[in-house]
Amino acid sequence: MLGRMEGPYDVMVVGGGPAGLAAAIGARDAGARRVLVIDREAEAGGILLQCIHSGFGLHYFKQELTGPEYAERFVTEALDHEIDILPNSYVSGIGLDSDGAKRVRILSDHYGLQTKTCRSVVLAMGCRERTRGAIRIPGTRPSGVLTAGLAQKFTNMMGYLPGRRVAILGSGDIGLIMARRLVLEGCEVVGVFELMPYSNGLTRNVVQCLDDFGIPLHLSTTVTEIMGQDRLRGIKVAPVGPGFKPDMSKEHAIDCDTLLLSIGLIPENEMSQSLGIQLDLTTRGPIVSSTLETSLPGVFACGNVLHVHDLVDFVTGEALRAGRHAGEYAMGIRRAQDNIRLVPGDNVRYCVPHSLSTGHEHQIFMRCKEPMKPCEIIIGDIMRKKLSFVVPAEMIMFKIKPDALDQFQGDTLRIDIRPLDR
Amino acid sequence: MSDLKNFTCIGCPIGCPLQLTHEGRDILEIEGFQCNRGAKYAKQEFEDPRRFMSTTVAIEGARWKRLPVKVTAPVPKDRVVAAAFEIHKLAVTAPVRLGDVLLKDLLGEKGVDVVATRTMDRI
Repeated sequence: MLGRMEGPYDVMVVGGGPAGLAAAIGARDAGARRVLVIDREAEAGGILLQCIHSGFGLHYFKQELTGPEYAERFVTEALDHEIDILPNSYVSGIGLDSDGAKRVRILSDHYGLQTKTCRSVVLAMGCRERTRGAIRIPGTRPSGVLTAGLAQKFTNMMGYLPGRRVAILGSGDIGLIMARRLVLEGCEVVGVFELMPYSNGLTRNVVQCLDDFGIPLHLSTTVTEIMGQDRLRGIKVAPVGPGFKPDMSKEHAIDCDTLLLSIGLIPENEMSQSLGIQLDLTTRGPIVSSTLETSLPGVFACGNVLHVHDLVDFVTGEALRAGRHAGEYAMGIRRAQDNIRLVPGDNVRYCVPHSLSTGHEHQIFMRCKEPMKPCEIIIGDIMRKKLSFVVPAEMIMFKIKPDALDQFQGDTLRIDIRPLDR
Repeated sequence: MSDLKNFTCIGCPIGCPLQLTHEGRDILEIEGFQCNRGAKYAKQEFEDPRRFMSTTVAIEGARWKRLPVKVTAPVPKDRVVAAAFEIHKLAVTAPVRLGDVLLKDLLGEKGVDVVATRTMDRI
């Protein structure tokens, strides 16, 4: 991809994955004339480029696409919108001018180190995988222990197989997808081990990635030891009891040369932290207003850097909105500050955005703490919504219409999920 | 005597649990679906289970070593692995355009073509 950077810019977007590309398009749609997307990889598209399976775009494009197809549509659309994309580059700092302009320091293979000015910034850095260190598995430190997403990049883009006999810890969708992927590449997948009593992935992925190939899923089970000197020789696993404590009397060894970890994702917010942006301790993403603006005026956030999504279609929708607001900000349009705080209550792990304003429609994303069915979402005393089920792996989304907030006088809205009698 | 078969729909993320009642090869009833895709899926799964699939092939002269590909129509479920191994025999040279047909009638299945799922320029 040909990199291009001129300037000055109205809006700069940090990250060229699905969130960054959609944010840039949203900014252009809102009237921003000059928009730059900065990406550290050699080409824009983000993690979609390594997600070669289909299942993307059902909501947004009304058809099932593979990751690379979804990415290519957005890269093409971004270029059609006359958005500049700068690959092989990263943002090493953002400063504020006294007049509110942002000074963005960009380190690039083509342009070297440069500082460019813009009116607003969209953070779209995505997330990264939790590693072995995050869950402290005991044992040696051989090669052959890697995250599922890294194995995906090796297998699908770089042409390396991570190993031959593979165990997978964690039943998130990436782990399930990689189980099937490695079987198709001729590997033996000996099993998927999940700490929780339920799968963290979508049911359809358990069916079409594990059941179809006879790969066993061991629930309430974890890896208790990693064995081997230079190369992984095997792992020990044990069922877990109350408090997720492994029952060591039932510990047993499993022969394998590779262990993939699919144990969660963390929004990549080092940049946000260095800017002093307030973060939500649960999502590990920025605290944002109803315009997806962070605590730093003129800096917006969307996609997996804000909170980890399960479908790229939802990322696209959120990023288009963030981009539109960033574009409006760059054009000098200011909205009144939010007047209602949104607070997670019973069985609500988090909700985004963190505040609302009267007079506007709002899109709310949230996650529950525990599975519940059937149940009801209760938003203060302004709205109720019945759901047949909720599970932590599936994001809950709904809209609050402007008229629902018309009569609301308070400054805090609490959201609860409560069970319904059948 | 009628028999019961259970399926989980893979048509969308909801994953409806489906119950199909049959007598020999005749379907008597399908229950448990929230939309028509579920009923269609259970019937297809009972009569001729098939899956869409994607994998990669070797590519020369491009930024990456592997080119992602997919099939244009589903292959029989029990031939998915064989289909992947067959596709892996392919080797292509950049440039390749999104949608380029790399192989027709995979494993002799009429209308099951292998196509590139991205564009890769020559580097």
